[in-house]
Amino acid sequence: MRTAIVTGAARGIGKEIAVRLAADFDHLVVVDLSPTLAETALELEALGVEVTPVEANLTGADGIAAVAASTESVAALVNNAGITRDARLVNMEEGDFRAVLEVNLGVPFRLVEALDGRWSEPATIVNIASRAYLGNFGQFNYSMSKGGLVGLTRALAITLAPHVRVNAVAPGLTATEMVETIPEDVIQRMISAIPLGRMGRPSEMADVVAWLCSPESSYVTGQVVVVGGGRSLTR
Amino acid sequence: MHAHLDLPSHLRDGFTAAGVSPAEPGAATVASAPSGLADWQTTLDALTALYRTAKAAAARGSPIVFVMSADALLGRTGPLDAMAATGVVSAARTLAAELRKQGVPVNCLASAEDTPPDQVVTWALRLLEAGPAGPTGELLQLGGAQIGKALS
Repeated sequence: MRTAIVTGAARGIGKEIAVRLAADFDHLVVVDLSPTLAETALELEALGVEVTPVEANLTGADGIAAVAASTESVAALVNNAGITRDARLVNMEEGDFRAVLEVNLGVPFRLVEALDGRWSEPATIVNIASRAYLGNFGQFNYSMSKGGLVGLTRALAITLAPHVRVNAVAPGLTATEMVETIPEDVIQRMISAIPLGRMGRPSEMADVVAWLCSPESSYVTGQVVVVGGGRSLTR
Repeated sequence: MHAHLDLPSHLRDGFTAAGVSPAEPGAATVASAPSGLADWQTTLDALTALYRTAKAAAARGSPIVFVMSADALLGRTGPLDAMAATGVVSAARTLAAELRKQGVPVNCLASAEDTPPDQVVTWALRLLEAGPAGPTGELLQLGGAQIGKALS
């Protein structure tokens, strides 16, 4: 049985990733804090895949342990769960700095530690970074956490080779609930800087993740794929 | 130059030998990315200390150079050091964007294991003294470890 674990899977990009991986894996462990996870799990089961929902806070040892206990072997881990607490650094509260680092960077690191010895051969890890790892005004904490994920990706690609490949996907502006909180005029200004002229769709992120989890990318490890419509090139 | 030096002793000594007076607060700030990290909690605490240093420097409009290991950037020295080094580079780019209109440069300087400390000092001072028209949001690498490798 090939098992994939997806964190932050209740909605948005994480849910789309789980939906996409349902076609390629036998068993999905979907993890989230949100009570809507149960609903997502039912949708996934309807796709014909075995689903183990783990409703847990991964910043605690119990949450990590619950995920590790959910399966004997892991063929794919997608570290997707993340939060934002934006502010210019001069106005950023220390609690917000630490919270973002803890969820976005500490959880992936500790999860990989907890899964030591359970990797299938072959297995893959995909860390969901962000285009903000290239720098983004008002996101000192978030860009540090996502840049840190890139470092984690590189280091694990070395230490877990040859049986585990490790890569990162860095989404740009993507049409998720997180974006719905941004004022429309700001969204339009952001879109105007994207060469492809639109936001990304969660399914477009999921397709890249699925490719990185598949044998089709069997010689790719330690890399970051920016999926941002070309936004990393423009002013 | 008076500078806040949040650095290992060998680099700190290099700056003082070059005539930089350690001061708190300083007109400039040089801080190293955490390294030799043993676990996540230590890493988070060390990055929080760096956050405090960076926030204080930003508040007073102090040019900043973050120094780190080129090997750590490439993931060669283990996950925690890599996370810290690449995380600091990304945060530095963000801070450079936030301070650009004030003309305050924020840059990173990565060195190889065998880079002489005086070279780190020399290039850090150049980055600090370049002024508003100089580089900002840049990662300058000494020793060439990045050639043919990942860019940042």
